Amino acid sequence: MSTISIESVTKRFPNGFEALKGISTEIAAGSFTVILGPSGAGKSTLLRLLNGLEIPSGGSIRIAGEALDKGNLRKLRSSVAMVFQQFNLVDRLSVVTNVLTGRLAHRSWVGSVFYLFRTEDMDIAQQALARVGLTDKAWSRADKLSGGQQQRVGIARALAQRPKVILADEPVASLDPVSSEEIMGLLREIRDRDGITVVVNLHQVDLAKRFADRIIGMNSGRVVFDGPPAELSPQALRTIYQREGMEHDNHLDLALAYA
Amino acid sequence: MNKISKIYTASSVPAFPPRPRNLFPVWLAATLAVLWLIVHDLEISFETLVYGVADMGEYFSRYREPDFSDLSRYLELMGITLATALWGTVFALVVGFFLAPLAARNLSPHPLVYRLVREVLNFMRAMPDLLLALVFVAALGLGPLPGALALGVHTAGFLGKFFAESLERVDQGVYEGVASTGANFPQLVMYAGWPSILREALGFTLYILDRNVRMASVLGLVGAGGIGLALHDTVRMFDYGKSGALILVILVTILIIDYASAWLRRRLG
Amino acid sequence: MTTISIWRWPTPNGLPPLPLVAALCAVLGAMWFTASLVEVDWVHLVGSLGKMAAFAGHFLVRPDWEYLPQLFDKMLETIEMTVLATAIAIVVSLPLGVLAARNATPHIVVYRVVRDLLSLMRALPELVWALVFVSAVGLGPLPGVMALALVTVGFMGKFFAEAIEVVDHKPVEGVRAHGAGWLQVRLFAMLPQALPDFVGTVMYILDHNLRAATILGLVGAGGIGYDLVMAMRLFQYDRLILIALAIYLVVTLLDRLSDQLRSRIIHGARA
Repeated sequence: MSTISIESVTKRFPNGFEALKGISTEIAAGSFTVILGPSGAGKSTLLRLLNGLEIPSGGSIRIAGEALDKGNLRKLRSSVAMVFQQFNLVDRLSVVTNVLTGRLAHRSWVGSVFYLFRTEDMDIAQQALARVGLTDKAWSRADKLSGGQQQRVGIARALAQRPKVILADEPVASLDPVSSEEIMGLLREIRDRDGITVVVNLHQVDLAKRFADRIIGMNSGRVVFDGPPAELSPQALRTIYQREGMEHDNHLDLALAYA
Repeated sequence: MNKISKIYTASSVPAFPPRPRNLFPVWLAATLAVLWLIVHDLEISFETLVYGVADMGEYFSRYREPDFSDLSRYLELMGITLATALWGTVFALVVGFFLAPLAARNLSPHPLVYRLVREVLNFMRAMPDLLLALVFVAALGLGPLPGALALGVHTAGFLGKFFAESLERVDQGVYEGVASTGANFPQLVMYAGWPSILREALGFTLYILDRNVRMASVLGLVGAGGIGLALHDTVRMFDYGKSGALILVILVTILIIDYASAWLRRRLG
Repeated sequence: MTTISIWRWPTPNGLPPLPLVAALCAVLGAMWFTASLVEVDWVHLVGSLGKMAAFAGHFLVRPDWEYLPQLFDKMLETIEMTVLATAIAIVVSLPLGVLAARNATPHIVVYRVVRDLLSLMRALPELVWALVFVSAVGLGPLPGVMALALVTVGFMGKFFAEAIEVVDHKPVEGVRAHGAGWLQVRLFAMLPQALPDFVGTVMYILDHNLRAATILGLVGAGGIGYDLVMAMRLFQYDRLILIALAIYLVVTLLDRLSDQLRSRIIHGARA
């Protein structure tokens, strides 16, 4: 059964840029999918469409059988968590409060605008923080943490939502190699233990090969590769990373050899 | 003024093609001409001014001996003035708190709401508080309450605009982070908006409190309570001793508030 | 104890943070304590809503078009007072600003004296000064311009000083290294750098002064304010509506203009 089904989705921005030129695919429940591609390929746009941060110009998106539209946007968002490249935490709030924002959609706004939470929500937040190993930083302000720690808070916030899907948009692009490894391991472990569907945007080929069940390669708004990591041949990589209007580029081979 | 442009070209080492425009002297001449026209139109004669300035020393010396015999009454009036400023500021804060998120382009639930609230805030700001005080006095009768309302309405326009602009400067990612969890509008405002601008917003509010204390001390001129009416009466009756005392009381209070709020703002920043 | 209750705040002890509660209590306490001073009377307030509506109803009259030429004159006078006072204040406060900037002042004593002088000038509202000047030089726009200029120097001098204090050091040292004198350093290294800030400040102040100038007439110091009060006292709502509208229009126009100018300067659209 598939959690996410994407049907001939297109996206054209007001400035005329066509980010997605008709994408159709299914993402299976409990899978770990990596979307690979150069910057500007439309990976980010695709992920933002799945969370409703952007609205498609054409086509339709269904999450767990429900079509994503304006009416059920907030409801679907609560089951599709998002992890960002720049973490997107609220700097001035404590780590716990940041994680608790993951519970907001499950509560009416009356208590939450006064920062009042149910004890069960606090328990969920506590568990989420324990999962990412930041229990001791619970009361620190979010901006006092290192980049890797902030991204773990971002993941804890996603976990606190108790989501069906976690979307991660370049989660390690702003981190050092060691933190990157940790974050990817954490995401993999979440999919293995909780069976949450994980979709990650990456531009690092080696990380994609090591962590993914399935790789979707994108280039200039189209899917150009779709298969298990084992099938990701050098030719396939070239198709993913080729620039438009360029048949063959030696520099690209060189760059890929060192990727 | 040509010197300035010379220094500019001298410091930019490789010789650029000469700048075509140097309209500064033209602007200066135009400005001076306009100012001369204004002076002429306002019928300000320099004779009066010079004469006035010469007399000014003598005039101000009349305030030399402030008469503090009514000090306790002055202090009570000043207390009322401060209270008026406080109530006005809190009113403005509450109104601004609710209107600002609607007037922030990136938060507002609908572009139409944004335009509408912005216009309302503009209108509140455009109406001078003394004019508003006149209106409220006519409706509510004499006393500090219409003064507090006038201050509140006028400065709510300011606070609403400043808050909205701060909310617009918050990184879009922060809003997306909270919105991506499925938070609704009030939650988005309370979790992503206000915490991010809290310090700035407190700083603005202190500025406005400062300003309101200053304005509250003249609201009495239109019958809206406070120390202003007393000052108006004593000045009109040429009672220089009492006027001097009243001005001193106002001055000292404003300076104290000024320093206190500057200190608080420094601690916040 | 707190774990038993269903609701809690996201703090270690489940209670709201103490400084916040203390600040809130202080403000609410002060308001409760001063409610009688301000004569807050909710019954009266709600009761007078009808009066407010009736008052607003007065404005539904045919405007007194005959009054337009005089209104135009008075609004022009108000604007002229604003411009003149601001111009005078710029000329006076530039040197004062230099003296009151920590990094440009010739001596620390001068710095302190000028700073205190400036804060004294801006402490009292324009209207108080206008009241005093009217009784010193007589009715008319002159005391109004004097009052506006005086208070404006107080504000502008301070803003200028602060703008100079944050200028970049390197160009200053560069100019000094070329053997520039005291005045030259300030004129050619410091002022040009602080200029964009100055322009922004001047726009803000122009805005403020226009608003202030509309009410100076209240004490006989020129401008539209006198007509405003007279219309109010004589219940000439057909004039009042025109005056209020004119003030709103002019203030809004200037506001838009200064917003645009400021954003152009900040975003460097200027060559």
